[in-house]
Amino acid sequence: MRYLSTVIGGAICGALCFGIWPEMWKSYGIMGGWITAAVVIGICWYMNHWLGVIWNQPGRIWVDQGWAVAAAGIAWAMVRFHAPFLRALPVVFCCLLGGALAGIAAVFVKKHHLAPATPPQTPGSEVSSDD
Amino acid sequence: MIDFMTHSIDWLGMSPVSVVTTVFGAFCVTFAVIICWGKLVEDFGPIGGMLAAGFIIGTFWLMNHKLPGFGINPELIADPAGGVKQFGLIYQGFRGTAPWVDMGTAIGFGTWIGGLYEISRGERFRAAVESLPRVGAAILGGIIGGAITGLVGWTGANLFGYR
Repeated sequence: MRYLSTVIGGAICGALCFGIWPEMWKSYGIMGGWITAAVVIGICWYMNHWLGVIWNQPGRIWVDQGWAVAAAGIAWAMVRFHAPFLRALPVVFCCLLGGALAGIAAVFVKKHHLAPATPPQTPGSEVSSDD
Repeated sequence: MIDFMTHSIDWLGMSPVSVVTTVFGAFCVTFAVIICWGKLVEDFGPIGGMLAAGFIIGTFWLMNHKLPGFGINPELIADPAGGVKQFGLIYQGFRGTAPWVDMGTAIGFGTWIGGLYEISRGERFRAAVESLPRVGAAILGGIIGGAITGLVGWTGANLFGYR
């Protein structure tokens, strides 16, 4: 059942992205694309990752809805514009390379160098508020 | 040097400059998402996640995928060599005749690799195998949704003279 909900969540996210994004861009230009990101990705993130329609559990490898958007983009262009699949591969490979480098770099930075925004509270250091 | 960097390679469908911009665009968006998104959700809850969707994805969409045109009802800028000139960092191969490659590719794979890197060394293979069916389900869902959305080009509807 969790796999089925993952498929459905991915299908909705992919369909929304490629049904709405090009139209919004064509109608409203740059601002349309920006608003679409806030609306479409906002709704899809809330459904897929906050409510958990795409199956993820703590301590496991994260499955992002980006996979669904990526697959939807390629499938949409192949069906809509009869674009040959093999032509996507060089750019896909470049994206995978950049993403992999960023994944390793970001996790490394998070592990070793990222300072928390607020200093961690140690027991006994809280300021008393009874004055 | 400039000639080599900007010359489109036939079998690759893009020039070395496009390779550099594509890798850089993919790197930037994935790094920002992994660093900021979880923290925003931690700090602001679901509101933070929806803020992140607008600010991170919206802004990086502008950088990676923006198409030529200005403001309301943009006109495409034609390239003298044919096709449409591209300004986004992530290049759409073969002058835009390749299927659309989204920055979701980079984000999905980047979070996957990042998750793999976070897991302790001995557990990695098992975790990767465990995650593959879930990745496959997400990709299958994307293919279904994208293909069905693409079918609207086949309906043959001719409303109000729109072609």
